[in-house]
Amino acid sequence: MAKKFLLVDDSPISRKMLKSCIPVEGVAEFLEAGDGLKGLNVFKEASPDITFLDLTMPVMDGVQALEEMKKHDPDAVIIVATADIQAKSIEKVMALGAFHVLKKPPTKDSVREILQKVDEYRRR
Amino acid sequence: MEQQVCHVTEDEKDILQEIMNIAFGKAAADLAEVINIFVVLNVPRIQVLKGAELSGYLREEISDFSDLSIIEQNFRGKFRGSAFLVFPSGAGKELVAMLDADHEETFESGTIDLLEKESLMEVGNILIGACVGKMSELLGDVVTYSPPKVVVENHPNEIIPNNLFNPEYTAIVMKTLFQFDDRNISGFLFLVTTHDSVAWLQQSLARFLEQYE
Repeated sequence: MAKKFLLVDDSPISRKMLKSCIPVEGVAEFLEAGDGLKGLNVFKEASPDITFLDLTMPVMDGVQALEEMKKHDPDAVIIVATADIQAKSIEKVMALGAFHVLKKPPTKDSVREILQKVDEYRRR
Repeated sequence: MEQQVCHVTEDEKDILQEIMNIAFGKAAADLAEVINIFVVLNVPRIQVLKGAELSGYLREEISDFSDLSIIEQNFRGKFRGSAFLVFPSGAGKELVAMLDADHEETFESGTIDLLEKESLMEVGNILIGACVGKMSELLGDVVTYSPPKVVVENHPNEIIPNNLFNPEYTAIVMKTLFQFDDRNISGFLFLVTTHDSVAWLQQSLARFLEQYE
């Protein structure tokens, strides 16, 4: 199970909601950032096991942050957590290398399901 | 005596902003399914105002638009208020072209005809209905809607229904800006809640957040 999570979202409430849905076994570290640029910097410094990334953010949006994160680490697991559920948005971020798109609002079930997929992917 | 001015905390505004973000994302996806368009979303903003300040606030927010096409729809439930979808005048023609390219040549310049109004109402119905409906669902309510109304104005002074918004009472204004990619159309959606739904809204926001405690 992953230990280090990075949550990038401009809404503190949204980060809190997502954090509460992440099942934690043992010790886990949560890192947070309030815009894409800060998120990118934390991502480069901390190399999180899993990154949750919002799309609609000030300073640097999630699409740009995703591109930069994947350039820095092509194997990074980045889950786009977004309210923008237009088919074109989902296609775009998947083409950029997002692992999955988590539709907001998150639920314990939807987050657990995605984290299980991450575990399966890493066991391969 | 009923309290006239309600205090809305920063946390409550933050939850409301996130709920509007989710709801408008759903509305954009619904619209994108109906017409082949991509809606560029922005972070919503929440303001707490007195009823008397609403017209001035709206005028300031949409000052970049010289003439306006406004789709207005009221919603009623425990969550109660008015929705205003604001486009620059002329957007109706573009919307007609998007909804039905066959009618593109039927316009006379300078007039807003039936097709434009119908297109504005159609887009308004989808965006307002999906956004308000999703917000209501997340907050545990079901609302009914008045028929949408299209008004073409050069100022927003007259669009706030006085019977809904007492000048002395609190109104919460939720605003989101959006663009239709490739079409050079920007618009705003404003949702304005009435004073009598503010207390219910605050309780519902607390309940919504409880599931994440």
